[in-house]
Amino acid sequence: MKRTLLAAAGLLLSAITALAADTIVFGAAISITGKTAKEGEYTRDGYQFAIDRINEMGGIKVGGKAYKVELKYYDDETKPERTAQLIEKLINEDKVNLILGPYGSSPTGTAAPICERYKIPMVEANGAAEAIFSKGYKYSFMILSPAKNYLRGVLDTILKKDPSAKTLAILGENEAFSKEVAQGAAEYAKERGMTVVYDELYPTNAQDVSALLTAIKGKNPDVILGSGHLQDSLLIVKQAKDLNVSPKAMGFSVGPSSPEFRANLGKASDYIYGATQWTEALKFEGDDPWKTPKAFGEAFRAKMPNYKIIPYQVAESAVAVIAYQKAIEKAGSIEPTKVRDALAALDMMTFYGKIKFDSRGVNIYKAMAAEQYHADGIKYTVWPFDVAEKGAMYPMPAWDKR
Amino acid sequence: MSGAELAQIAVNAVLLSGILALVALGFSLVWGIMNIVNLTHGAFIVMGAYLTYGMHELWHVDPFLSVPVSMAVLFCFGFAIQRVLINQVIRAPLLATFLLTFGLEILIVNLLNFFFKADTRSVMTLYSGSGFTVGSVRVPYIRLGALGVSILLVLMLGAFLTKSRLGRAIRGTGMDIDAARLTGVKAPAIYALTFGIGAALAGAAGSLLSMVVPFDPNLGGGYTERAFVICVIGGLGNVVNVLIGAAVYAVVEVFVGSRVPALSGAVTFGMLVLLLIARPQGIAGKSAS
Repeated sequence: MKRTLLAAAGLLLSAITALAADTIVFGAAISITGKTAKEGEYTRDGYQFAIDRINEMGGIKVGGKAYKVELKYYDDETKPERTAQLIEKLINEDKVNLILGPYGSSPTGTAAPICERYKIPMVEANGAAEAIFSKGYKYSFMILSPAKNYLRGVLDTILKKDPSAKTLAILGENEAFSKEVAQGAAEYAKERGMTVVYDELYPTNAQDVSALLTAIKGKNPDVILGSGHLQDSLLIVKQAKDLNVSPKAMGFSVGPSSPEFRANLGKASDYIYGATQWTEALKFEGDDPWKTPKAFGEAFRAKMPNYKIIPYQVAESAVAVIAYQKAIEKAGSIEPTKVRDALAALDMMTFYGKIKFDSRGVNIYKAMAAEQYHADGIKYTVWPFDVAEKGAMYPMPAWDKR
Repeated sequence: MSGAELAQIAVNAVLLSGILALVALGFSLVWGIMNIVNLTHGAFIVMGAYLTYGMHELWHVDPFLSVPVSMAVLFCFGFAIQRVLINQVIRAPLLATFLLTFGLEILIVNLLNFFFKADTRSVMTLYSGSGFTVGSVRVPYIRLGALGVSILLVLMLGAFLTKSRLGRAIRGTGMDIDAARLTGVKAPAIYALTFGIGAALAGAAGSLLSMVVPFDPNLGGGYTERAFVICVIGGLGNVVNVLIGAAVYAVVEVFVGSRVPALSGAVTFGMLVLLLIARPQGIAGKSAS
């Protein structure tokens, strides 16, 4: 009796391991609560959408065997130190096969060394600070265009409309990603012959930027650029309106691309430019389950009807899973080090753009895009010029003259 | 720095200090009377913000008119929480109330997250963003209105605490609970009332903030922190101390914020540390001995 029981238990155990072995589990720590809760939600939805799609198509094929894929994630509460703990837990306790990145550069920065230590690859889709990749990590890969490129398109668009726009004020959040965005924008503006008249950082979680805006108003710049996150962009527009700070153009690195930007600001979002990693208007022909930006958008909306506009965070998160799919299939193995090597050698076109990593693991091969809200309440892709849906509206009328 | 900019900075500081005073007022009252550092305060503020948001979205209630409603709702909520929960541990060491209010904060924020999602919200009215200009100084209507409401509530609380029997009972309980008991004050009822008023003031602050800043369920933590710093700077004890604390805090935040914004947090908290060393009872507070 005892023996049969033991045998049965043994059978059951091997059945469980066999079952587990047929599934590839991606682990992630994502900000479901905290400052970037909304962006974290986009990230999770993007991951899950791609994973569901891969499963619908039969899973990932490795040497004639098809693996189902699964996402296991925890809430890191937008706290980078929590991210690190959770990544460690995912690797050690949950024994996930591979890691997908958290939302934001700071959490990505704390996750990377953990993945490095355990030699588990991390494809990250939401941490654009290059500082993370200057440390010689071998297991972290950034799917997106790096921070310093974010606002170039916005500046290009403005300068095409008005080559005489000369002065620029930049206000940025004091954290790794936003600092790089601000630096990149300042450098590019100088290259293009502009003068940076104001360039300051405000603390993370700032609730009042009227002091900065007052200082900026004194300089009367042609262009104001903000590099922070959604809430900061909302705050800056609201307070700029309060204080009647009216430049000829205003743009942000993060914020305008989310549907909430318009929902919160209403007409005040007209004329505002936003940088974006991806829009549905872009033209790519990719080797992935959706092929084109448009098809991706339609498929996503069909599954998640509560999204009217698709934030780029969804697309970049989804494509991170696709990069894994390709790399695993190429490696012919789910062994982390082999997947890592396949990722390093990856060179593919997707609905999101080109995926290829430089020696640091950064996807410098993909360009950004720029959007602008028009008076009809819709944001249009205005840059790159060859795929622009509409020309930019310029200049922005003064707040008190609208 | 030009004169015009300096004038604008000064006006910004005055406008900010009003709202900050209201943020800290209820916190200071609860701390001073009951010796509870109420970490749920920020969550009460967020509840006030959501009440105003909800009334504005559903019934187009003007946000200023919803202030009394969120005060009433938060008063009842605070009163109940004190009666049912906090009274159980009020005699326990400080750590117990600390943990309890901390836990409550997490609970409320997560419930708000569940029901309202993490979406960022703003209350936008027709007059949002408009204002008037004096010389080169811009005064936004909403901020001015918020300052007005704050001043009104500060005065009302001051008058209530000094002039009314109930207010004197509250202060008496804060000064010496045993003596207050001897004169027939029912301490648990007074505590619940105090906590309710604290919550109501937080609700009012939340209603006003909902017009000024974009918010989500996580807004509150930062304001609990600010309330704490303001109370330490100004000192506990009376309404005037809170005003002084809020004014000092606002001047530092606005002034440093316009020059070296990246350091504004470091400067405010640096000031807090220096003050704790040099004058632990706060700028205006009386020393305990």
